[in-house]
Amino acid sequence: MVWDVPAPAPRGAVLDQTQELDRFLAEIERRAFRMAQVALRDPDDALDVVQDAMLKLARSYAARPSAEWRPLFYRILENGIRDLQRRRTVRKKFMVWLPGTHEDPDNEAQDPLDNVPNGGPDAPELMMQGQAMEQLEVSLRGLPARQREAFMLRNFEGLDVAETAAAMGCSEGSVKTHYSRAVHALREHLSEVW
Amino acid sequence: MKEHTPDAGQSPFEEHSRKLFQESVDAMDMRLRSRLTQARHAALDAAAAAKRRPWLLRMGTWTPAAGVTAAALLGAVLWFGLPAGNHGLTAADSQPSLEDLDIVASADEGAGDALEMLQNDLDFYDFSDKAANSEPAA
Repeated sequence: MVWDVPAPAPRGAVLDQTQELDRFLAEIERRAFRMAQVALRDPDDALDVVQDAMLKLARSYAARPSAEWRPLFYRILENGIRDLQRRRTVRKKFMVWLPGTHEDPDNEAQDPLDNVPNGGPDAPELMMQGQAMEQLEVSLRGLPARQREAFMLRNFEGLDVAETAAAMGCSEGSVKTHYSRAVHALREHLSEVW
Repeated sequence: MKEHTPDAGQSPFEEHSRKLFQESVDAMDMRLRSRLTQARHAALDAAAAAKRRPWLLRMGTWTPAAGVTAAALLGAVLWFGLPAGNHGLTAADSQPSLEDLDIVASADEGAGDALEMLQNDLDFYDFSDKAANSEPAA
């Protein structure tokens, strides 16, 4: 079955726009949440940016053709994630100047890839799904933001190159480059533990 | 709606990572699912409420920008709209008007004293003039 071309809706079965939007959001909300959680590490922050993206899409773009919703939604979501990360960075820089706050409680200054074990005695245990996913998340956080976005949108969400380019606000060539580099880096870091 | 289908030319690594991600999505606990559903309904309700608002109330978001623009326009009109030379006092402004004369000549309290003082001054100037003319040159 070909899914890329939406089949024409039968007469009388056209959903109200709000219902259609509801169905679209219900279909993507969990994946969007997990992607935001991978990037932000905090479930509450992830929930906030997903809800904000839903609200902005519903307010500003509900009238657009439904085929455009997915890249638009992920563009809003990625902008939200980036804004939150930027605010965190500024806050962290500001907190450094305050007495008694020199320790980094989140340990965010370290390169997350440093925490990825390069094989070793625990490698067989990491084959378990939960741990393997955790390793993948840690490795994804270690990637540059654009590479992480390209990998998650292409691989996790299944957007094609053009949709990913629209969601990331860049050219299709850039998407291919970011994705290729992301796959290469992830494979390099995870090949020994997977 | 487009379904999530893997690309034909994907490597086992990419397929494996996607499978892991999808399993983590499927394993999401009910509490999080419920919060996501609530967030979705809240977003849709807020968007619907915003659409139902009258257009005049929706203009509220533009109020600050409209205020600044109106002030700038008013300033420009006041500055550039007047003819050159009219920004300061004119010759007409320096002439006493009839209203000013009315105030001086009015019979309010103090007006009589003012005229009397004016008369005294005239007498003084007359005396001073005569004295100056009668004094022999030194």
